[in-house]
Amino acid sequence: MAYYLGLVQLIGIHTLLGLSAYVLMLTGQLSLGQAGFFAIGAYSAGILTVIFELPVLPALLAGALIAAFFAFLVGFPALRVKGLMLVVATIAFSEFVRLFFFNLSWRVPRGDISVGPDSTNGFREIRYFVANGWSAFEITAFVWIFVILVMALLWWADRSRAGAVLRAVGEDELAAQSVGINLTAVKVAAMTAGGFIAGIGGALYAHTATYIDHLTFTVLLATFAIAYPILGGLSSVFGTLVAVIFIQGVLVEGLRFLGDWRNIVFGLLIIAAMNLKPSGLFDAPTARMLKRAVGLDGRG
Amino acid sequence: MSDFWFEFVEITQTVGDGLLFGATYALIGIGFTLIFGAMGKLNMTYAGASLAGAYAGLAAFTFVNAPALVVFLVSALASGFIGFVVYVACFRFIPVNNHLAALMASIGALFFIDEIVIHATDGSPLTFPAMFEYVMFDLGPYGIRGDLLFVFVVCVVSTAGLVYVLYRSRLGLATRAVSQQDVAARLCGIDVHRTNAITFVLAGLLGGIAGSMTAAAVGVLSPLVTIPLTVKGLIVTVIGGLGSIPGAIVAGLLVGGLENVFLYFRGVNERDMYVLLLLFVFLVFRPHGISGTAIDRD
Amino acid sequence: MENSTRSGTSIRAMTFASVAAAALAVTLTAFAQPALAETERTVKIAGWGAKSGPLRSFGVNSEAVLTAAVQAINDAGGVKLGDGTMAKMELTYYDSACNADQAISVARKVESQTEALIGIGPTCSGAAAAMYGIFQKTVGDASDTGLQFPILTDTAIRPGLAKKSQWTFRNVPNEIAMYDALFEWLRTQYPDAETIYGGTETDQAHSRLTFALVIVPMAKKHGFEWVGGGIEGVTGKVGEGRENVMEASKSSNWLMADTNFSVQARAFKKSGADMMIISSHPFTTCGMLKEMKRQRINPKVLVGLTSSSSAETLKGCSDAAEGMYIPTGFAPITEAAAQVAALAEANGGSADLHSAAAWENAHIIKQVVEATGVMAKPDTLVADRRKVRDGLEALANVDGLMGAIGRVQDEGESIKPYVFVQADAGSWTVVHDPR
Repeated sequence: MAYYLGLVQLIGIHTLLGLSAYVLMLTGQLSLGQAGFFAIGAYSAGILTVIFELPVLPALLAGALIAAFFAFLVGFPALRVKGLMLVVATIAFSEFVRLFFFNLSWRVPRGDISVGPDSTNGFREIRYFVANGWSAFEITAFVWIFVILVMALLWWADRSRAGAVLRAVGEDELAAQSVGINLTAVKVAAMTAGGFIAGIGGALYAHTATYIDHLTFTVLLATFAIAYPILGGLSSVFGTLVAVIFIQGVLVEGLRFLGDWRNIVFGLLIIAAMNLKPSGLFDAPTARMLKRAVGLDGRG
Repeated sequence: MSDFWFEFVEITQTVGDGLLFGATYALIGIGFTLIFGAMGKLNMTYAGASLAGAYAGLAAFTFVNAPALVVFLVSALASGFIGFVVYVACFRFIPVNNHLAALMASIGALFFIDEIVIHATDGSPLTFPAMFEYVMFDLGPYGIRGDLLFVFVVCVVSTAGLVYVLYRSRLGLATRAVSQQDVAARLCGIDVHRTNAITFVLAGLLGGIAGSMTAAAVGVLSPLVTIPLTVKGLIVTVIGGLGSIPGAIVAGLLVGGLENVFLYFRGVNERDMYVLLLLFVFLVFRPHGISGTAIDRD
Repeated sequence: MENSTRSGTSIRAMTFASVAAAALAVTLTAFAQPALAETERTVKIAGWGAKSGPLRSFGVNSEAVLTAAVQAINDAGGVKLGDGTMAKMELTYYDSACNADQAISVARKVESQTEALIGIGPTCSGAAAAMYGIFQKTVGDASDTGLQFPILTDTAIRPGLAKKSQWTFRNVPNEIAMYDALFEWLRTQYPDAETIYGGTETDQAHSRLTFALVIVPMAKKHGFEWVGGGIEGVTGKVGEGRENVMEASKSSNWLMADTNFSVQARAFKKSGADMMIISSHPFTTCGMLKEMKRQRINPKVLVGLTSSSSAETLKGCSDAAEGMYIPTGFAPITEAAAQVAALAEANGGSADLHSAAAWENAHIIKQVVEATGVMAKPDTLVADRRKVRDGLEALANVDGLMGAIGRVQDEGESIKPYVFVQADAGSWTVVHDPR
């Protein structure tokens, strides 16, 4: 059971990571820097529970706010660049964050050992959950409360004017601007929201893994962050969830029996998926088909 | 020798080494920029495919003991072929205006190619042949590595070859036409798919040279290099100005030279942070890169 | 592409749906657990390590040696259970890459979905550090919900990891003892060598920590001084003055995927040290050694990191590595060790100081199972795992390939015999055997 719950936790955390990139993609911004915000959330929350001995909830919220703050700061210069420039700029940001944590050593004595981030040696002992007797089920529930909250919020926003505004900017900036949408506000808000969501994900990750080091937050993780919404499609938040289940559940865990061939199949399946369903696995037609299948067909 | 003079020699030598090594960054940057110029898309497979080409060359070295020059040639051809396959698998059939899907497919191809290489070699570092490997030219207080000089010359020659193809042949005309106005090019009867495929092959040939030159300069090849080389190539592309070949050359040399200076003065832990700061400086003060005429589209 | 027809789209959708359905079916089969109806009792063990990613060779070697060990144990009759039955040993090996999430996931999977009594892995120290964190810290502490499953790691070598949990044990070389003895021996071999200089890959925790905590302090302990001073805080006691070491070597370090070593090599050259240290894994060790050869740097003594005493270094740069000394916990010098090296080769891997431990681990498990009366029945699983853990804890001495291995009880670590090897014309030659 612990194994499945662990997997469900991981899927939840990666869904948050994917959603943080999803929000940005709605406005037409592609960021390969979400691993950086995820790292900021992870280290900040870890430092708060380990060094300052805060309970996990305030630590997590503080971590998310700190990540959001940095995302807000990144949002302004990022306005100047688009497309590939933004991709590279965000990679650079996230690598910078990673190198910062690579150099960060902040150790405080705790009993006969010392705790805290220890540069290359990593940040161990983020054991708030197990040390306080949380069961695997409780940890999973805790993770998913945030996943569901964020998904519900985004789903609701998507149905409201806010979603229309985000998508309008993503579809055609010029047109959006001409109907009076403030591009700066929308883009910076999306970046900040993305940072907040990634920060929550990172904070949860640090506490479920109990150990983080700079190598966790490489470009590879940022690649996964954008892979989820792209594979899942941008038609709704559920696309990202479907893609996370597809990648983490099916490709990474489900194909484990393939042994070391798994990673080769992994790349091929991504290529195949993008050729067969370029708008994502959970694109608009699929969503309609599913709705029809379960008898929920509205206007589509 | 006074301290000042000694320090001066050290620093200039450091910059010089970095500049020579930067030639390989420039080649990778040119490849990214070429494909971006042609299709407006990002081919994330590029650096990985370049190294895969070098591995194909290495196979020629390991199995039939081919001389270094043949190894480089095989690397270039293999990487050109991989370029074609990547075009077909990740770009040809994905709708032209869907940038995200093409980007993601090329990331999938990067994972795939990298993992194939890892399977073939178990990820072990392998000796890669070089020309003039242990030759050192002594010029007064300076020492110049023979092999790096050779790498530099090869990079210059292959870039010149590329520029010749692009600006002096019908093929190049078509490529440039497609990159500037693909609808107009189509109306003039240019086969866009064919032209794009050729661009990928050209970029691939160049990448194979870059990959084998990088491997020759280190003397050892390992799949560890793929991701750092991808990131560095992208940084060079943006600093140079998207779509600009001269920009990518200057940026490659600049990054190579400065990276050594940062290392010399600040140590390895901070080196890459300064390279990234350099990129930020460009993004804020000169967002179109060195060339200043970057193609502005997403 | 623009004018792809509706029918084209639906064929696409159908193709995709069938691919997806097939993938799902395959996955469900993979997740479904085989029925627990046991006809024959077996001692199940699980191994995991990096079989994908750039460190694949570690996982391949480890699996090859483990497979050979299990085969050898079964050929000799198997393992004797608590009621006298002879049972076969059965190995399942998983790929966890060099990744913390995957190592954790495999640990959880093996603990809850299989009847394995013990796990052997993972490869990377970072993954191990993370994985150990999800285990119960103190045995019997009901308020700690960490995993209760014994681990006997074979590869991850970073100093001081196993202490994290009473369920985690390691059988990896003890670098402190090895370098202590190495420098003591080098002192007698090179009495006129006085100064040292060196570098490490700073983003690789094992290389960096071993350099700053072990190698340089041990060199100093035996009278070698850093060129130009700068490591005054180093007392020869492990861990003291670690910041000084990193500061002194600031301009001579590199990162694990670096390709240009000219600045570092010039710093080495400028130092003119008698002894130079390269604390790094094979790829960058080779890059650095080649650059040193180009710049014609010939120190009297060259010392490398334990992990580089493998076939990889020789594949990468046997000519430039010539003469380098490394202490190692494995060399095919005993009959048993030579046999394991041959068996590993036959299984498509190679035996080195990391993977050879897997052979010993399989035999340690056999010894523990027999000593503690494990029953290997489905309903005794929890008790059996506890027995194996307690048995490992109680071990004082075991037979290793190179001689007796001592166990440090409260730390879960080994003290293994070692030898000093030197790169010599494309192979590692044993130059001193302190056993």
